[in-house]
Amino acid sequence: MATREAGKKMIMLKSPDGMEFEVEEAVAMESQTIRKMIEDDCADTAILIPNINSKILSRVIEYCNKHVPTTGATGAAASDTVAPAALAEDLKIWDAEFIKVNRATRFDLIQAASYLNIKGLLDLTSQTTIDTISDNSLEEIRSFLSTKNDYLPEEEQTIRRENQWAFQ
Amino acid sequence: MTSRRHRSPSPAALDDDDLLFEILLRLPPQPSSLPRASLVNKRWRRLASDPGFLHRFRIHHRRSAPILGCFVERAHGISFEPTLEAPNRVPPGRFSLRFEEGDRFGLLDCRHDLVLVHNQTRCKFLVWDPITCEQHHLAIPAGFDSETNEISGAVLRAGGDVQHFEVVFVRYDDIRHGQAAVACVYSSEMSLWSDLISTPLPWLSPFDNTISTAHPAVLAGDALYWFVTAGSDEILEFDLWKHKLAVIQLPVHVYEEHFTFRRTDSGVLGFLHVSSLTAQLWQRKTDCEGVASWELGRTIELDKLLSMNSENRWYSMICFAQDNNVVFLLTVVGLFAVQLQTLEFKKLPQTNIGSYCLPFESVYNADIGGEHGGADLFHNA
Repeated sequence: MATREAGKKMIMLKSPDGMEFEVEEAVAMESQTIRKMIEDDCADTAILIPNINSKILSRVIEYCNKHVPTTGATGAAASDTVAPAALAEDLKIWDAEFIKVNRATRFDLIQAASYLNIKGLLDLTSQTTIDTISDNSLEEIRSFLSTKNDYLPEEEQTIRRENQWAFQ
Repeated sequence: MTSRRHRSPSPAALDDDDLLFEILLRLPPQPSSLPRASLVNKRWRRLASDPGFLHRFRIHHRRSAPILGCFVERAHGISFEPTLEAPNRVPPGRFSLRFEEGDRFGLLDCRHDLVLVHNQTRCKFLVWDPITCEQHHLAIPAGFDSETNEISGAVLRAGGDVQHFEVVFVRYDDIRHGQAAVACVYSSEMSLWSDLISTPLPWLSPFDNTISTAHPAVLAGDALYWFVTAGSDEILEFDLWKHKLAVIQLPVHVYEEHFTFRRTDSGVLGFLHVSSLTAQLWQRKTDCEGVASWELGRTIELDKLLSMNSENRWYSMICFAQDNNVVFLLTVVGLFAVQLQTLEFKKLPQTNIGSYCLPFESVYNADIGGEHGGADLFHNA
């Protein structure tokens, strides 16, 4: 249930495996999907987040907690007092640690970021995946992503000929 | 709803086209990225050639577009000289433009994926998108449509608008406006030219070459700037919001071939000038009361940076790539690209770039299945 604590409006998020997470509304609204539910007044009671288990949901909340623009007693954004460059650098370091997860967790986070529409998290998880594979050979990419080559040899040759310069 | 704990997470997440779409969007903006990705499997090829994806890919990388090469004027058209190395070296033929026999033309500007050409014979501007091959022909504003090469101009997409563009026409006019610089803005959205805007340029004689066509305009903040050749070290500013022209004095005497505009990392107007083998980086500062002045920033000893010996000490700046903050320096031993923030430099492969060219900074989608029946080529195989 939505409650109030120390003047901050709280929201309850429920994972399909039965766990409940009470978070500040501002933190939950880092997700554009949840923001829309709240703004459309569809969030009076606990919000069920389908398809995202409690382990992943807790990581997502951790991310949103770190990235929500915090406000001080005067209501001024904290970023007004901390140099923006220093703040950005701090977040970058934090993000790099946050994303040190195994491949399965990373793919789950991509899926969660996409469903919940959290742009920063989607950027971070997708970019890390691309960075991991971009210097790899085609075979290594296929193996990492558990996908198969479904081209016939002559089809592969046609594609190479289309933009021959790109395969030099 | 089913908990995902019971599913195999890694492939399942990528079975969703929307998620793979998001991941592929983050491929590097280098030209070879998408052709190579399309070779992973048929599904990747289908996504990497989807027009919606290609549009998003270009938007996603528009602030990190690489310098694909340079456009140069040739006798019968405009040719593209690639400056990237393999496998990102896009063949010249992909972006070359040929004019009709006998047409005289001037290559004026290149920005936001568009090239501006002045067809002097037909008194028209051509706005050309080298990637989509779209061409727009505009008549020069009435009263200025005589056959002349003294016209400058700039092209841009205002405020990140990917559909429309603006062309800013500038030239010196000593007949109608009594020795003045005049400007006029074309909006492709409205399909019309604005009223004429002018500012006095009193020191010029009618015989002087005036607003330089040897230096393309630079876009910094909300204004475009041109070099005034015959002035006493002045530049011309056109404010895109207020539609106002102004003349700004440079802080030092500069030689045109040793000068290039630049835009600092924070988007502020600056210029680079080589004097006594030292490159000086100047920038425009505005104080809290709105008063602008010039400030000398870094100086770069070019001969040390580029390890030149005394016989090779000659430099000419030929262009500045705004989005990459890179200046192209022509030297006796070849063409160098110098990144002004990091001072990293590289000697470019042998090219036919002369003393005037326009860098092309863009995200090239390549032609995945485009001319060969589309990505569906193999779907029924």
